Amino acid sequence: MLPILIQQLLNGLSIASVITLIAVGVTLIFGLTGIINFAHGEFLMIGSFVTWLAVQAGTGFVPALVIAILAVALMGLVLERGLFRFTLTRPTNGFIVSLGLIVVLQHVVILFFGPNQKSIPRPLAGVWDVGGVRIASVRVMVILVTIAVVAMTFVMITRSRYGRALRAAVEDRDTAALMGIPVRRYITGVFVLGSALAGLGGALLIALFPVTPFTGGTMVMKGFAVALMGGLGNLTGAVVAGLILGIVEGFSAGYGFSEWTDAYSFGLMILVLLVRPNGLFGGTSGPKMA
Amino acid sequence: MRSLLLRSASAALCLAASAYSASAQDADTIKIGVVAAESGAFVSAGHTLPAGVGLAVKEINDAGGVKIGDKTYKIELLKRDDRTDIATAIAATQELVRDDKVAAIFGSESHDFTLAMAKITQPAKVIHFAGNSTLAKVLNPQSVAPGGEDHYLFQSEPQEFQRSGSTARGVLSLLTPLVGHPLKKSVVIVGNDATGQFLTSYYVKALKAEGQEVPEVIAYPPDTTDFSPFLTRAKSLNPDVVHFWYNGDSTLTALPQALELGVAPSYFLFGVDPGIWKERGLSADVPVAMSCVPICWGESSNANAKTYFSNYFAAGAPKGVTSSVSLLYYDYVHFLADAWEKAGTLDPDATVAALESMHHKGVVSDDLSFNASHQVTHATEVCAAAPGGAITCAMQQPPAEAPN
Repeated sequence: MLPILIQQLLNGLSIASVITLIAVGVTLIFGLTGIINFAHGEFLMIGSFVTWLAVQAGTGFVPALVIAILAVALMGLVLERGLFRFTLTRPTNGFIVSLGLIVVLQHVVILFFGPNQKSIPRPLAGVWDVGGVRIASVRVMVILVTIAVVAMTFVMITRSRYGRALRAAVEDRDTAALMGIPVRRYITGVFVLGSALAGLGGALLIALFPVTPFTGGTMVMKGFAVALMGGLGNLTGAVVAGLILGIVEGFSAGYGFSEWTDAYSFGLMILVLLVRPNGLFGGTSGPKMA
Repeated sequence: MRSLLLRSASAALCLAASAYSASAQDADTIKIGVVAAESGAFVSAGHTLPAGVGLAVKEINDAGGVKIGDKTYKIELLKRDDRTDIATAIAATQELVRDDKVAAIFGSESHDFTLAMAKITQPAKVIHFAGNSTLAKVLNPQSVAPGGEDHYLFQSEPQEFQRSGSTARGVLSLLTPLVGHPLKKSVVIVGNDATGQFLTSYYVKALKAEGQEVPEVIAYPPDTTDFSPFLTRAKSLNPDVVHFWYNGDSTLTALPQALELGVAPSYFLFGVDPGIWKERGLSADVPVAMSCVPICWGESSNANAKTYFSNYFAAGAPKGVTSSVSLLYYDYVHFLADAWEKAGTLDPDATVAALESMHHKGVVSDDLSFNASHQVTHATEVCAAAPGGAITCAMQQPPAEAPN
C-alpha cells in the first residue's frame, strides 16, 4: 500500500505543477493589471498547438517550446494593445471581451487545424521504477521547469526595480504615474509575461497529454481557483494553493469518491475564500482605479 | 411619373420571376438536416455526422438524385453545429423543422440531445435518425406505432445491451490469447456524465455475464487530462484488464499514462479506431483492444468498410479518433432515399411504412432493417493491437437478450 500512497503523492505534485504554472500567469495578469482574462486557457491551448506545429515541422521539443513562448507572448502583446488596453477602466468589459475571445480563438484553431486531438511524441520517454513507484521522466521535467520559472518570476516581481514599480502601480496608478512610472507600459509587460507563461504551460501540457481546441477551458478554471485561493497577485500564494489543490485532487481521485475530484477542489476554494476573502496569503484586489 | 411606374412594374415582374424560379428549384429539392457537435466536448464523434451524411448525399445526387414517381429530386443538406450544447441543438432543430421545413433530420450524437430534438421533430412529422444506443426507454412498439409519440424516430445504432455484449465478448476473446493467461478481473474507468454512467451500467453487466469480476468502476470528471490518480487507484486493484469506457479522446489521453504507470497487463479502449492508432504511431508493450462504433476504420475485417473510409476521407473528412461513428448515419441516408423511392412519395407516414418494411444493404451490414421498435441490430467490430504492433479485428455478433 505504501508504494500506492507515494505514487498518489507524486501524482498530486505533477498535477500541482501544471495548475501552478497557469495560476502564476492568471495571478500576475488579474492581480497586477486588473484584467480578468478568462481566455488565458486559450492562450495555453495555442501554446500547445504552436508546439505541435513546430514539432510537426521537424524541430525538437526545446526549440518548439521557445517558439510557443514567443508566439503566445506576441499574441498577448497584440491583444493587450488591440483589445484589453481599451477596457482597463472598465474591467467588466475586459471580462466580456475575454469570454468572446475564448470562442474566437477556439474557432480559429478549429478552422486551421481541425477539432481533433493533437499530440507529440514524449520529449523524455524514460520511466523509473523505484520500489514499485513509477516516475515518468517527462513529469519530473515539468515539475523542475515549473519550479525554475516560478522562482525566476518571484525574484523579478519581488526583487527587481521593475517589480517594485509594478507593485507601486498596483497600489495607486495615478501616484505611480506621477512618480514617473510608465504604468501603461508596465501593464503591457505583465500581460505579455503572463501570456508567455501560458505559452510555456501549453508546451509542457502537450508534452504530457494530447490537447484539443477546448483544453484551455477546464485548465483556466483551476488556474483562477488557485490564484484566488493563494491571493491575487501573490506568487507564493499561487504556489502553495497549487500544491494544495494538486494534492487534494490526487488523493480524492485515489481514495475518495473519484467522480467528485473537481467538486473537492472547488469546494476547498469556496471554503478558503469564505474564511480568508483575500486568499491564504493575502493579495491585491486588482489595481485601484482613480 | 409614367417612367417610374414602368420601372416599378418591371422590377416587380423580375422579383416575381425570381421567386417563381426559387420556388421551382425548391420543388426539385428535398431538404434534410443534420444537427451535431462540430465544436465543444463531443466534437470527435460529432463532426463525423455531417461528414458521413454529406458523403451519402453527394453519392445520391451524383447518381442522379432520388426518383419519386416520375420526378427526380436532388437532396440539399443543411448542417447545424450544436456546439455540444443542448439549448443550441434544440434551437437548431426548431430552425430546421419550422423555417427550413426539412423532410428528415440526422443526429445528434448525444442521447439527451436526441430526446430533446425528438420533442420537435415528432409532432412535426419529420423523419429522425439518431445513432444512439440508448433510446430503448422511449422506443417501443406502442410509441412508434402510427399516432404514437415517436412514430417518425429511428434508432440507427444497436441497443446498448447488444453493443456492450458484443464489445465485452470481443475484447476478452481477442485479449486472452495475447496476454497468455485467463483474464478474470476487470476495472472500468469511465467519464462521469449521463452517457458514461448509462453505458457503463450495461457494460459492467456484459463483463459479468462473460465471467469477469469487476471490483470497482472508477469514474472521472469529464474533461480530465491527468488520469494518474485514477489509474493508480485502478493499479491498486491488480486488474487483468483496464477498460477505458467512453469517450475516445479521454481514452487516448489516459492510455499513455496507464502504460507509464504499469497499471495492468492489458487494456481496452472504447470508441477508438485502429486507423487513429496507426495514424498517430501509437504503440504499447502490452496488448490493447479497441472497439469501433460500429465498423473499424484502419484495419477492418469488413471489405466494404475499406472503400467507405477511403471515400469518406477523400471527401475531406478529418481523420478522427472515432471516424467510424459516421457509419451510424451514412447508411441511413441511402436507406431513406430508397424508402422515398419505394413509397413513391415524400409523405412521412408512407416513408415510415416503407422504412419499416424494407431491408437495406449497407456498409455496416448487408441486411439492415428496423425492428418493431424502430431499432437496428447488427454486429460490432473489435480489434486488438499486439505488443509487436500487429492488429487483428473480428466482428462480434450481439447477444440475443440482455443479461440479468
